[in-house]
Amino acid sequence: MRKIVAGFVLSLAALGAWGAEMRSRGVSTAPILIDVYSDFQCPACKVLHENTLGQLAYDYADKGKVYLVHHEFPLPMHTHAMEAACYACAASRVGKYQQVSDVLFHSQEIWAANGKVDETVCSILTPAEAKKVRALVKDPAIAAEVQKDIQAGKTAQINQTPTMILTYRGKQYRIPGGNYDILRRFIDQLLAN
Amino acid sequence: MALAIVFIYAAYMKLREPWLLFAMSIDAYQILPEWAALTLGRILPWLELALGLLLATGFGLRYSAASASIMLAGFFAVMVRAYVMGMKIDCACFGLGDVIGPRTLVRDGVLLVLSVGLTVLALRKGRGFEASQV
Repeated sequence: MRKIVAGFVLSLAALGAWGAEMRSRGVSTAPILIDVYSDFQCPACKVLHENTLGQLAYDYADKGKVYLVHHEFPLPMHTHAMEAACYACAASRVGKYQQVSDVLFHSQEIWAANGKVDETVCSILTPAEAKKVRALVKDPAIAAEVQKDIQAGKTAQINQTPTMILTYRGKQYRIPGGNYDILRRFIDQLLAN
Repeated sequence: MALAIVFIYAAYMKLREPWLLFAMSIDAYQILPEWAALTLGRILPWLELALGLLLATGFGLRYSAASASIMLAGFFAVMVRAYVMGMKIDCACFGLGDVIGPRTLVRDGVLLVLSVGLTVLALRKGRGFEASQV
């Protein structure tokens, strides 16, 4: 009986963590955890995504030194940000979160102006993936996943996007700005300790 | 004395965090080259601490008050610039997590006015002026 209960509890925990895992890079056992809260319609998030996060993922997450977790934090003032976040979450279910994030940030100015989030996202998906993502976007579970991220952000007192929170040995550091060279020095310093 | 406490508190809040994070905050203003942001990130909190202690003791008040005014004017100018440019960045005045906005601008503006007032008084009254009067 105990085994059944324990199994059930573990399954629930895994289900809860699943959404975040689908939007992460690296291994969860990495010494450094970096939580990124961003909004697809925010210009500063685009800059961070294109200038810092890609390099960070390549240099540290892919080498098992950093576990990079993306959280959706669409700001109310950005009219299409929520929709974009839902599409990205839906895309994560078909293993295309990274690619969808890339295209959303790359074409940010276009879809932010014309509202064609669906068209932008589906442009990099196969017809089968697009069909699945379109169906998933209507699933309340996806909106709930985004809301869960927003709530996590509010709990962490996020008041701007993008925000990166680095956790190392139980201590949290809020990373200001996105200068990759300085961030790299900081991470190297932590890892050298 | 209030100004001295503000400077000491600002220094303390910066020194308790890794200096590289403060350097990143300076870099986020996009004014200085990276090497300057790194240098300033390392020395600015100590300068603030020294200035705060000087203001608290009243030693060389004319110079310390004038230095504080110049420093605050510099901070205020870069903050206004960032705000006008629509940059959503940390002011990094008292550690991290304080986004530049009307509240931070008013706060730093008040500090600047206080500091300029102290400088004017110190220059007028000369060495005999006590820090505790402000």
